[in-house]
Amino acid sequence: MPYAVIRFSVLAVMAIAVLAPLSLVGYQSFLSAPFFDSMARFTLRAYQFVFAESDFWVAFGTTLIVAGGMTVIALPLGAALAFLMVRTDLPGRAWLEPLILIPLFVSAVVLAFGYVVALGPVGIISTWVKGAVGFLPWNIYSLTSLVVIAGLAHVPHVYLYTAAALRGLGSDLEEAARITGANPWQVALGVSLPMVMPSILFAGVLVFFLGFELFGLPLVLGDPQGLLVLTTYLYKLTNKLGVPSYQLMAVVVVVIVAVTAPLVYMQRALLKQAQRYVSVRGKGLKQAPLPLGPWRWLALAAILAWFTVTVVVPIAGITLRSFVVSWGEGVKLLEVLTLDHYAELFDYPNIERGILNTLGIGVFGGALAVLCYTAIALSVHRWQSGWTRVVDYLAMAPRAMPGLVAGLAMLWVFLFFKPLAPLKATLFSVWLAYTVVWLAYGMRLISGTLLQVGPELEESARTIGASPLRTQLDVTVPLIRYGMIASWLLIFLIFVREYSTGVYLLGPGTEVIGSLLVSLWGTGAIDLVSALSVVNVLMIALGLAVALRMGVRLHG
Amino acid sequence: MRFVTLAAAFLFSFSAAAQTPPGYPADYSKTVEAAKKEGKLIIYATTDAVAATPLVKDFEALYPGISVEYSDLNSTEVYNRFISESAAGSTADLIWSSAMDLQVKLVSDGKALTYASPEIPNLPKWAVWKNEAYGTTNEPIAFVYNKRLVPAAEVPQTHTDLEKLLAAKPDFYKGKVTAYDPERSGVGYLFVNEDVKNWPEAWNLFREFGKTSIRLYTSAGAMMERVGSGEHLIGYGIFGSYALGRAKKDPGLGIVLPKDYTLITSRVAFISKQAKNPNAAKLFLDYMLSKRGQTIIANQALLYSLRDDVDGPASVKKVREEVGDKARPVEIGPGLLENLDQMTRLAFLKKWQAAMKGQ
Repeated sequence: MPYAVIRFSVLAVMAIAVLAPLSLVGYQSFLSAPFFDSMARFTLRAYQFVFAESDFWVAFGTTLIVAGGMTVIALPLGAALAFLMVRTDLPGRAWLEPLILIPLFVSAVVLAFGYVVALGPVGIISTWVKGAVGFLPWNIYSLTSLVVIAGLAHVPHVYLYTAAALRGLGSDLEEAARITGANPWQVALGVSLPMVMPSILFAGVLVFFLGFELFGLPLVLGDPQGLLVLTTYLYKLTNKLGVPSYQLMAVVVVVIVAVTAPLVYMQRALLKQAQRYVSVRGKGLKQAPLPLGPWRWLALAAILAWFTVTVVVPIAGITLRSFVVSWGEGVKLLEVLTLDHYAELFDYPNIERGILNTLGIGVFGGALAVLCYTAIALSVHRWQSGWTRVVDYLAMAPRAMPGLVAGLAMLWVFLFFKPLAPLKATLFSVWLAYTVVWLAYGMRLISGTLLQVGPELEESARTIGASPLRTQLDVTVPLIRYGMIASWLLIFLIFVREYSTGVYLLGPGTEVIGSLLVSLWGTGAIDLVSALSVVNVLMIALGLAVALRMGVRLHG
Repeated sequence: MRFVTLAAAFLFSFSAAAQTPPGYPADYSKTVEAAKKEGKLIIYATTDAVAATPLVKDFEALYPGISVEYSDLNSTEVYNRFISESAAGSTADLIWSSAMDLQVKLVSDGKALTYASPEIPNLPKWAVWKNEAYGTTNEPIAFVYNKRLVPAAEVPQTHTDLEKLLAAKPDFYKGKVTAYDPERSGVGYLFVNEDVKNWPEAWNLFREFGKTSIRLYTSAGAMMERVGSGEHLIGYGIFGSYALGRAKKDPGLGIVLPKDYTLITSRVAFISKQAKNPNAAKLFLDYMLSKRGQTIIANQALLYSLRDDVDGPASVKKVREEVGDKARPVEIGPGLLENLDQMTRLAFLKKWQAAMKGQ
């Protein structure tokens, strides 16, 4: 079979998997009723209704503030962190590395609820602070808190890109600056920063993009004061007319996609810039760490402080909640300790299956997803064609849909595309939804690995007569196998923490922890939610430990 | 040992009798036979699986050979899934949801199978509509409060008490009262709408809510957690069943069934017209409404039974002990469809928004 046929069939499958749910949503936005309803007519009414809503514009504005604010916070911190970790003699770099990435893998609802228990108006730390200074200096439910928390939680994204760029850059220029008498501060700002700027900006665009699809944090932290962002506004819209109105939800999704599409364009432009700078790449460049002197301890303290606020505090909060009957003002925690919530987990009929399914979808589903991502990445690898741009846009598009909507659209695909119907009640449906939603992330992992393969190896295979397919199977794939294993572990972590996408596919046989958490939260079983969250965090910790044990580098 | 034998004999007699329970039509055994042939029953429900497990287990013991696939989802998700799947041709057999208005809409849209349950004579009138929609529970809508932080003398016993309390101590209760958000939650809308129907002064109370910056949520869990912790002090309009379950674990949470009037809502069940296992669905519906099923609802599931002949901590008798004749059931029927009329709804919400500003 000619290579072009294989390439195009891989890309066609991907395009269908992405466009089917997305175009259903787009189509729905122009109708007057659910698309499967015989009463549905073409109309622009849904757009008129949403655009006339003051809540929509408020939510839109808040979303812009949140996305912009968290980018402003995450960018300098992430970049500084990367510089400290890659270029300086900061103490404890080896064990700091995995810690820094933990926020990537903890579910946002778990974090958010942990914050309520720890830092809420009567939270454990709040009560203590109030006792000490007489008042509470923060309000966890304010817009500012939301922006700060979201910003801190996205520092690892910026770190990942900047660190990768710095590693790819020889340190000879920095050393030259040092020799001519520049201090570390001048080196960082005057030499390193300009060279990795495109990568930092690239990460900035990504964080801004992620700000648009933020859901778990605003859902829990924005609830008490009615703070709305576009994704939580969707919830309100669902109820406004009494009956869920898909056309209105679809309009909001179309708006999010429309706003985020230019961001993908910006990312592509920045990526080209980044590659232009990385001209001194090459092996064997010794990187001499920059001595920080006494400042190194201050730097370490700052990193640990960030880690405490972003990870330790919320996880401690949720863990504590899982061991007590009640908490808050006037409760002596020692008197309310219990293990009942964990015992109760075993009474809950679906939870064992949920835990097993989650593991299954993480381990096997993750592996399968990596194979798919690899197939797609290989088919655009070293391909000089305008089609690669289309593939980039396609890969990002599903991420612009909030998880809940993506899940609902996926349900429609399984219901109304008859060949898939028998698979609806199986884990395959959840797997496909996850794989499509995380397409952009997975593709980035694999292409990152592919970039490390020098073209000369592939070219030599081609010279001695190997077909493109043979070259990829015998040369490229074996060379990236470690990268694929690393991606598998990262995808495992992401699939295990996913929560909103699976809700509509939840049923006997397809329970996963994430969607069980969401459904338990609604009925008030917070005891179970907290215990299950801890189980979820433990699974993720275990996955991380295995990853480190196997020597997986958590960055591309 | 003797106890075990006795229990076994008791169980045996029960399941033998189950073939045609007393008072059921003579050909009921045919339904049982057909249901056993179906062997399976798919339920979509809003009742969480923890509460529903005793019911499901007991049903499976009563009719061995029928296995129940039970999915718990929130009410919007139940509705979305049901209409999407039924448009595609196949869906659950029995739909059981606390969103009374959405259930009534589905029934009035012709999605339900007509089936006259032999248990109808034992049910209150408001709980049956068109022999299609059946109320299965009698759930009082309660106030909850934090026992440690609300002074005993201040605990409101009526809606009027609450209104007066907020007017008298606005600073103490500022940001300390919580309720469902009628704009973001379907049950929230249903509750405040019923308040207005049952109590002419309801808007005054809502304006007091606005003045004391009430905190509005979309989930009962979030509200009770925060009342329990003391972040909030009083929760308004909480399902009695959720409150009872929570209070059993957290002794710091108090429950009041308001003495001037207590709204009664019900989890509404209907059999899907497209049910693949209609006979099994009929058995389950009858079982939930039977004395045996209702006894479990009153004692284990704690969802509040609605039959007069059932005792337990969550039963209609218990509610009557507390509020006498002040129970105000929400009637299952076309009246609920008004809630879903866009114009009415948007107008009501506009008034609500004004009240939230104290106007």
